[in-house]
Amino acid sequence: MLTYIVEDDPVAAYLAELMIRKEQFCSEVQSYVNGQRAFDSLKEANETGGALPDVILLDLNMPLMDGWDFLDAFDSLAIAKDVCVFVVTSSIRPDDIEKTTHYKHVRGFFSKPIDEKALKRMQHLLEVPNN
Amino acid sequence: MRTPDYLQAELLDLAVADATLFNFLHGTVLDGLWYWDLQAPENGWVNSKLWLTLGHDAQHLPPEPNAWQAALLPADFATMQQVVAAKAADAACHTFSQVLRFHRLDGSEVWMDCRALLLRNEAGTATRLVGALLNITREVEKEAYAVEIANHYSTILSNQSVYIIKTDAAGNYTYVNDLFYERFGYDAQIIGTSSLNSIIEEDRPKCLDVVAQCFVEPEVPHQVILRKPYNNGPVKSNHWEFKGLVDEQGQVTEILCVGYDVTLLTENLQKSQHLLEVTKQQNLRLQNFAYIISHNIRSHSANLTSLAKLLDGNGNADQKAIFLQMLNTSTAKLAETIANLNDIVTINTQGAIAKEPRLLKEEIIKTLDALNVQIRQHQIRVEVDVPADLLVPVVPAYLDSILLNLLSNAVKYRATERPAFIRLYTYQEPGFIVLAVQDNGLGIDLNRNRNKVFGMYKTFHNNDDARGMGLFISKNQVEAMQGRIEIESQTDVGSTFKVFFSTNVDVDLYS
Repeated sequence: MLTYIVEDDPVAAYLAELMIRKEQFCSEVQSYVNGQRAFDSLKEANETGGALPDVILLDLNMPLMDGWDFLDAFDSLAIAKDVCVFVVTSSIRPDDIEKTTHYKHVRGFFSKPIDEKALKRMQHLLEVPNN
Repeated sequence: MRTPDYLQAELLDLAVADATLFNFLHGTVLDGLWYWDLQAPENGWVNSKLWLTLGHDAQHLPPEPNAWQAALLPADFATMQQVVAAKAADAACHTFSQVLRFHRLDGSEVWMDCRALLLRNEAGTATRLVGALLNITREVEKEAYAVEIANHYSTILSNQSVYIIKTDAAGNYTYVNDLFYERFGYDAQIIGTSSLNSIIEEDRPKCLDVVAQCFVEPEVPHQVILRKPYNNGPVKSNHWEFKGLVDEQGQVTEILCVGYDVTLLTENLQKSQHLLEVTKQQNLRLQNFAYIISHNIRSHSANLTSLAKLLDGNGNADQKAIFLQMLNTSTAKLAETIANLNDIVTINTQGAIAKEPRLLKEEIIKTLDALNVQIRQHQIRVEVDVPADLLVPVVPAYLDSILLNLLSNAVKYRATERPAFIRLYTYQEPGFIVLAVQDNGLGIDLNRNRNKVFGMYKTFHNNDDARGMGLFISKNQVEAMQGRIEIESQTDVGSTFKVFFSTNVDVDLYS
């Protein structure tokens, strides 16, 4: 199983990766410092038949291409695989939480930091079939 | 058939024969009889009926011979003497009448109509006066009451604060009170003309609606606020109550309109609404700011929490050294975030800061001097099309910061594949002096980023020293000076930032 971490803060990205490995959430992790890098990689994998992620942990506030731009761009890629996006942010803005529910790929909204409990909840959400 | 003439002759005979008829006339028909010696005016005689009229008891009539004069009001006695003297001098005059006031026993006044007959001697001198007195007190009082009532209503109608108007069913004036004439500078010529003419054009449909309601539902007040120019001067708002008045057939024939000035009220309402709008905007900005603060601080605190937990747990020394280094980085970033937030808070909480006029061109040249090394190094052509004497009211520190930020951005994100230029020019808009900073640099894709350009921690190019604070701070500074900032931009063509400096010197938001 492949997980993308899309996060501009290197400390936060490192800590999330460390937690994922420790909890054996998945076998492989790829980190991207903004939405643009993650999108480019996703697009390339989709076109060349490369490995597509199962899960994307997506930060919202990022330079160049932020989380919302990424979600819009992601929707425009016709990806056959069921990729599950979890929004991971420090934002407590109610509008942000509400807005994520309009994206079909987003299956959860998480506050930083990602800890054992958050990963357990993600695991549980992944097992529930997506309606 | 006998003619009635015999009755006349008979009555005259009766009058001469005995006192029956005379007694009946002065004792019953009249309210008093007065016989006065004009040659000795202190002598007079009054009949007992007068005393009864003045409230005396028939058994106790005043015995004094001069009691009649005491009963007459002194002023009226004096007047009567003058009138008699004048009438007596006119030989042709035999009768006249004069109103006299007497004291009643209970202290009130009795008004008498005195029908006077002057008796003259052979020489034609008036020697006696016969006064037939009729009590007219009730009529006088009734009249006085009627006058009082009329005054009362006329005071109400010409009241100083209410307009009263009547129109016919077609809306033409039929009555207008004085206040309306006075305040709106009209005269009686408007009677018969359309009442719509005095109302400002955009309120006329509103007026017609209410008149229509008066026909649908007569005899009930319908309310509306209409604006009229006041004596060709300022436009005043008036609150009106329209009422359809119906005739016997139940048809609406007149519209009664009662109105009063509510200009101050409406103006205050508008002021409150403006204040509410300002407060709403501020509230929105504050809320946004609270979210930004919480987001930025929380993201660091999340890192710190995780790192502290990791340092606390089992791990080898190498790993712990990495965590410690990260902890240092995170605390440094937290301190930096707090410093950034402090900059913003300072701009937003200072409130009314004094604005001073500054020569814009001079300030631009100073900023360009500071960037001189980079401008020369990258061979950027700079044009400044700003009048040398153009003054802008600004918070000087904010102007410095805005110019440095926009110009250093223009240098930083300059064109690399074509000769770079920066052009500054100004123009006027109502209430604003606009400074445009144009470059032919990298530009920003506004289709994707319009809402983010002036946001906090937003960066648009792969540039490691970009903090995403500059434009956010500039925007806050421009807004704190009641101005605004706009951008036009196209990727690889260039950007133009337009700074709108409010020409309003007063910095009080609430004025």
